[in-house]
This record gives sequence, structure tokens and C-alpha cells, in this order.
Amino acid sequence: MTVPTLLQIRTDAALDKEENGLPRVELAPDFREFRDAGSVAEMVRRTQEVLADPTFPTARAWRDGGGKAVGCFPVYTPQELVHALGLLPVALQGGGENLEISRADASLGSFLCSISKSTLEMALTGLLDPFDAFVFPYICDVSRNLDGIFSRILPDRPSHMLHLPQNFASESTVRFLVAEYRSLLKKLEKVAGRSLRAADLAASLALFGEQRLLAGQLAALKRERPWDVSLVESYLLLRLGGLLPREVHVPLLRRALDELRGRNQKAKDAVRVVLVGPFCEQPTLELLQLIEDVGCYVVGEELQMLHRWYPRVEPGGDPLESLAAAYVRAPVDIGVRSTPTTKAAAILARVREGDAQGVIFLTAKFCEPALEDVVLYRRALEAKGIPYLHLEFEEKSTTYEQARLQLETFVESILFD
Amino acid sequence: MGTPTPSSATPSAAFLRDARALQRKLVEEYYAGLDPARTPRRPVAYMLVGGNLAEIVRSFGYEVVFPEIVALTCAIKHQSLDNILHAESLGYGLDVCGYVKSDLGLQDRGGETSFGRIPRPDLLVCSFSGCYVYVKWWEALAESYGAPLFLFDVPYMREESPRKEDIDYLVSQLWEFIRLLEKRTGRSFDMNELKRVLAESRRAEEGWAEFLQAGRLRPSPIEAYFESIFYMFPINVLRGTPEAADFYRVVNEEVRTRVREGILPLPQEKFRVLVEGVPPYTNYRMFWDFFRKWGAVSVVATYPKVGGLFDRGFRHDPSRPLESIAEYSLGAYVNQSWPLRRQIIADYVREYQVDATVIHGIKSCRSFTAGQGDLRDWLIHERGVPTLYIESDHQDPRYFAPAQIKNRMDAFFESLEHHRATAGASPGSPP
Repeated sequence: MTVPTLLQIRTDAALDKEENGLPRVELAPDFREFRDAGSVAEMVRRTQEVLADPTFPTARAWRDGGGKAVGCFPVYTPQELVHALGLLPVALQGGGENLEISRADASLGSFLCSISKSTLEMALTGLLDPFDAFVFPYICDVSRNLDGIFSRILPDRPSHMLHLPQNFASESTVRFLVAEYRSLLKKLEKVAGRSLRAADLAASLALFGEQRLLAGQLAALKRERPWDVSLVESYLLLRLGGLLPREVHVPLLRRALDELRGRNQKAKDAVRVVLVGPFCEQPTLELLQLIEDVGCYVVGEELQMLHRWYPRVEPGGDPLESLAAAYVRAPVDIGVRSTPTTKAAAILARVREGDAQGVIFLTAKFCEPALEDVVLYRRALEAKGIPYLHLEFEEKSTTYEQARLQLETFVESILFD
Repeated sequence: MGTPTPSSATPSAAFLRDARALQRKLVEEYYAGLDPARTPRRPVAYMLVGGNLAEIVRSFGYEVVFPEIVALTCAIKHQSLDNILHAESLGYGLDVCGYVKSDLGLQDRGGETSFGRIPRPDLLVCSFSGCYVYVKWWEALAESYGAPLFLFDVPYMREESPRKEDIDYLVSQLWEFIRLLEKRTGRSFDMNELKRVLAESRRAEEGWAEFLQAGRLRPSPIEAYFESIFYMFPINVLRGTPEAADFYRVVNEEVRTRVREGILPLPQEKFRVLVEGVPPYTNYRMFWDFFRKWGAVSVVATYPKVGGLFDRGFRHDPSRPLESIAEYSLGAYVNQSWPLRRQIIADYVREYQVDATVIHGIKSCRSFTAGQGDLRDWLIHERGVPTLYIESDHQDPRYFAPAQIKNRMDAFFESLEHHRATAGASPGSPP
């Protein structure tokens, strides 16, 4: 296949390479590369550079500026708590395509997803050195168990397993989650060297509220005018939101939205699809681009749910309780939460919301929460005659011929039906 | 090649007598009692083993079905693969939990097994305790049957003692569950009945713990993995009934007889082994023989604790009914964090004078398995315990490679034997 121009970043001679062969990106501690990025093209290019380097350039730059960083495993961490203590919450979303796994297999076991292995590999090989603490939310059994492994292999850096509740009908769930947050705070406060202040938390709620508002606007634009913003662009702009200081990302996202709203590109004869499954481990950029290259418009997806969990949270009388309540009452219905209705209702609502013609299940290899949902989703789609396609991916993919063939067949079957 | 003990020539489990026969009878009676054709039909609740609420449900007159136990019974009787293949034809992928596929395949085929017909559920009680797949599994059952689903959210244990907030959260959910049961059955909650059931549970728990702790004797009169797994049925499925409590009286009487008369799992206990992990039910006897051949007796194991850590002191308490049910729900072995699991294993190694550990990883069970490689590393390098890690599946016979597993176990025990011989130690002493 022809590799799209956008995706040739890994052969870019401008990237330095370390002795271990990994690309090395150095950022200024004030993140001027992103503060000054004047176009979406530049933002996207710089994000690709950052993602090609598995040594977390943004966390390193933050440390160079004297800060401390907390690595947060997907899908949801109350980043506001991390931020309110002056720490940088950084989304840990795997090692990407450039990381070789050599030690993690032996510690974890064979039949596990790429993101768990690459995260552990990075811990075992020093690539997570820029982090002072880690949060592993209970989104699946592997994520939960990683916390216990981290506590042994990185004993000097706190690791916390956050039990996100699954009973959303109980009157005591919010109270329990507040207690969970307090336990997390206890560890983070030690890292930060200070206690949480209500005013700081209120300010963090406002900042993250703004980020979520903009993320929601980007998703709406992608849904309403998918020809004016590509999936790779919207994905990278949001992915950056989990890596940069949010004070840098929010104005960047605002500038990006201004530019994207000003576009007026011609719509193609493409199939509107919802992308379901990649809520934790992330597919390669090549695969994301391929989906739209073959003639799809992605009008709904689960790629960066962290920034779209709930809208703005008002601090109220107890900001901690407000934050917990926002999580519990969020209308998010993806594989890492028990469904408040049924899986059938959830998938059909997503299709309706995007006015989609079909669904692409893009699930990470060995991701059990996603794989089990797919069966129920498929059953509901079949009952309504809605076409779907199921693809599996891993962090490292080198060939896309089979995926291209499947996607092209899927698109043609809808276009010429 | 080392020298296998003469025990390899004897039939498996010849030391098992009255208790095993009684356990078989209890299993048969239980499944016969579930027959949907029986009248009057009692409502059926599906439940999971870890953190289950059997006592409460039974106090409202429900029959309880444990699909995990149905699945493992199918596997040990070599009936799981057809169910798994059927589930795969429904769309469940190769990497989905074997229990889930075995059960959902069986359900979709009408629930007929060689040991009885499994009735449809009237209520689905998901104790989310130690396994996230539980939630997915019960959601699938709810959509298949249209039965109401109660999700009992059990916090993961990261410290030795639960927080007050954890207990408050659990008790609050228990009251909400009781209100649901009252509404569905039209019966009022009877606290005295619950206390009576809990007293029976406690009696069974005392007997079960006594049995497990017999592995501390040297030589051990029990097989703490392969034999204990047979005896998990009453503590997990029948807990709260007089039959379960009486069963362990028979078991412990038999163990005392063994000690008196010198009847042991093997003629010579050469290696005292700790086994961690779920067994390959599809090849249970063969796997057991791989241990027996080398004179390896499991004196302690983690898997029999999936229904609760009774050997470490937990008991249901009729004087604190809901609080003790809340505490119980936290205690499933896989609901313990890895630091707590490591501590339990370190205690077992010391208390049971363990020579070596065998870890059996399950391909499709991330909850139990993810991190067992790290456990192996910790046992070998930080605790000095020789440890073998092998992998197959609990439900899917396609993943059990007999020659490969046997070769690895032979090499492991041969090297232990060699180490002992060169160190001049006598059989039965720690390497």
C-alpha cells in the first residue's frame, strides 16, 4: 500500500535518535513548540513527533522546568485532582510503534494486550523515569494487576489502583467514590509535598471543564462536517491533551478549532461509520488514516474518552463530591463501565447520534472488555440490518494489506447496496 | 532423567474414601434439585463464586446456580469444548474467558448437561469481586434472558483491612439488594432466618479451614490442591445449608483416620509444593499425575481460596450479619492486590514448609494470571523458592499441551532432586 504523506514521520531525518534506536524529541520547558504552533498541520506534526518518542518528551520537559508528573493509565483518571496539586497528569497510552518488547512478556504472561506489555516494558527499562507516581484505574483485570506489579518493580514511586465503581444505581456510590479519591489524594499529596486546597481544585475543575468543552466541540464538528477534519487530525489534537500541560493545550485546541471551522472542503461520497472498541489501547495512525482513506467518515469514536467523560463540573459545596458525582452520572456507555441500559440500546444510540450507516469494531488484541461487548453489539446491529466490520489491532503493526481489503469490501458493500 | 517414585504406578487418588463419595452424592443431589421440571419450581438466582450473596438469596427461597461451577464441571467431564465452540460460533473470540464461553455456549444450547439440565435464571446477581469479566458475563446473560441484574460492586482490596467507607458502601448495597428481593418475591426480609443460615455457614467454614490447615502436618495427610478442589463444592455451592457443615465433619474425620493409620496422598512425600492458579480442568487427572510421578504433594494452594480466605481466619458472624457478609465479599483470593497475594504466599511458604511452587497460568483468565510471571520472579529471586511457571487453560482443552507441560515439570522436579542429592539433603527436607 502507499503510505500517506502525513504518516511518514518516522523516517523524518529531523528526529534525533538515541543509541537504542528510539527517536528522541527535546521540548522546551515552557512548551513554546506548542504555544507557538500556528496551524493544525504544525500541531499534528509536532504531536506525531512526540508520540514517536516513547520516552515521554512532554513529561521530561515538565521535569526540566522543575515539575513532577503522574502517569495515568487509561481510560479515566480524575486528572483534576492531580492537577490541583501542581502535578502534571500524563496519559499513559502504550509504547507505540517504536518500542520493542523484550522483558515484559516474562512478567505478565503471553495472552495479554499490547498496552499492558508496553507499559510494563517501559517501567522495566527506565522509560517511565520522568514520572513520580502512577494511577491505574480498575478498567479491567490487567490494568488492576499492573498496579501490583509496579509497586514491586518501582517501589520508590507510589502506584495507586483506583477502584472506579460499577454500581451506578446505589445511593451510596458517590460517597464511596469520594473515599476512593481521598485515598488517591493521600498518596498524591505526599508526592506533591502539600495538601489539596479547595480553591485549587475549583480552578482545576474550570480548566478541565474548558478542555472538555473544546473536545466536545471538536467531536461535534467531526460528526457534523467530517470532510473538514480528518480522523487523524481530531485524534492527535485530543491525544495531545493528555500529554501537554492543560494550560498549553486549551488555547492550542481553541486555535485549532478556529482553523478547522474555517475550512470548507468538499464532501466525498463516503460512508458514515462509528468506530467502537479502541477506548484504551490505541491503534496506529496508519490504521486510523486507512479507515478514512478507503472511503469512510468516522462520525463517532471512543479513542480519547478521557477528554469527553462529562461536561463542565461546577465545584458546588464540596468540589470532591461534585467530581465524583460527575463520573458516576456521566452518560458514558463504553466497555469499561457496566451499562446503565443494555448493550443493544447503547450501540443503536451511538449509530443514531452519528447518523451512521455502519459500525467498525476496532478492538485491541486480547482486550476482553471490548471483545465481549462486540457480540452483543453485533446482535443488535444484525437485528436492525446495520452493517458492521470487526478488525483487531496491536500497538505494533507493519502491514495493512488485509485491513485495507476488509475495509474496502465493507465500504463497497454499503455504497453499492 | 531422574527417578520417578513408585507412586506413579498406583491409581490416582486411591487415598480418597468416604468424603469424596459423599461429595459426589452432594453434587448429584444438587443438580437433581435444579431440574426445571421439578414442582413446585423455586425461583433461580445465578451467582458468581467470589463474594457471593448465597445466604441472603437462600433466605428468600431462591435456588442458586453458579455458572462457573457448571462450566468447570463440564470441563472436568470433558464436555466444555462443544460449548466453547458453540460460543465462538456466536461471535465470542478465541481470547475470551473460557468460563464465559463454556457457559454462554451451554445456555444457548438449552442448558442440557450429562449431570442435569441447568434452569434459566429469574434473577442475576453479579458480585463484582476480583474479576471484571464477571460484569461482562452477567450483562450478556441479562440481555439473553431479560432477567433483572443486580450488580454488587465490591471494592478491590489494597490494604489488609477494609476502610470503613468500603464496608458502608457494601452494606448499603446489601440493603438495596434486600429491598429488590422483597419486591420480587413479595416476602419480607427475615433477619432471624439470615442469622440461622449464617450460623450454618460458619460451621462449614470452621470445618473447611480445619481441613485446609491439615496440610501443615509433615507429611501432609491431604492433597491441598487436587483433593481440596473436590471439596470446594460444599463451601461454595452449599454454604449455609446443614449438609455443607456436616460434610466437613466427615472430611475431617477421614483426615484424622489418615493420620492415625498413616494413609497419605503418596507413599513418600518427596516435595511439599504450593500450587498457585486455576487448574486445567480439562486434563485434571493427567495434570495431577505429573505431580504424583515425582512424589510432589501440594500441601497448600491458592485456588481453593477463590471463595474466601477462611483458612486465614474469616468467618461469617450471625451477630453482625450484613457487616460480615460485606467483609466476606472482599475476601475472594483474586480480589486481593498483588502485594496482598504475595504476602499470603509468603506466609504459606513459611507455615506449610513449602519446598517449591508451581504456578499454573490460565490463558483466558487475566484476573488470576496477569502478573504471575512477576510472582515467579519474586519467589525465585527475593524468597529463594524454586518456582515453575506453566500455562494452559482451565476450560479449553486446545490449550493443554501434555508433552510440553510434562517435559517442563519433569525438568523442574529433576533439577530439584539433583539439587537435593548434591546438597546431601534427605527427601522431604527443604532444598
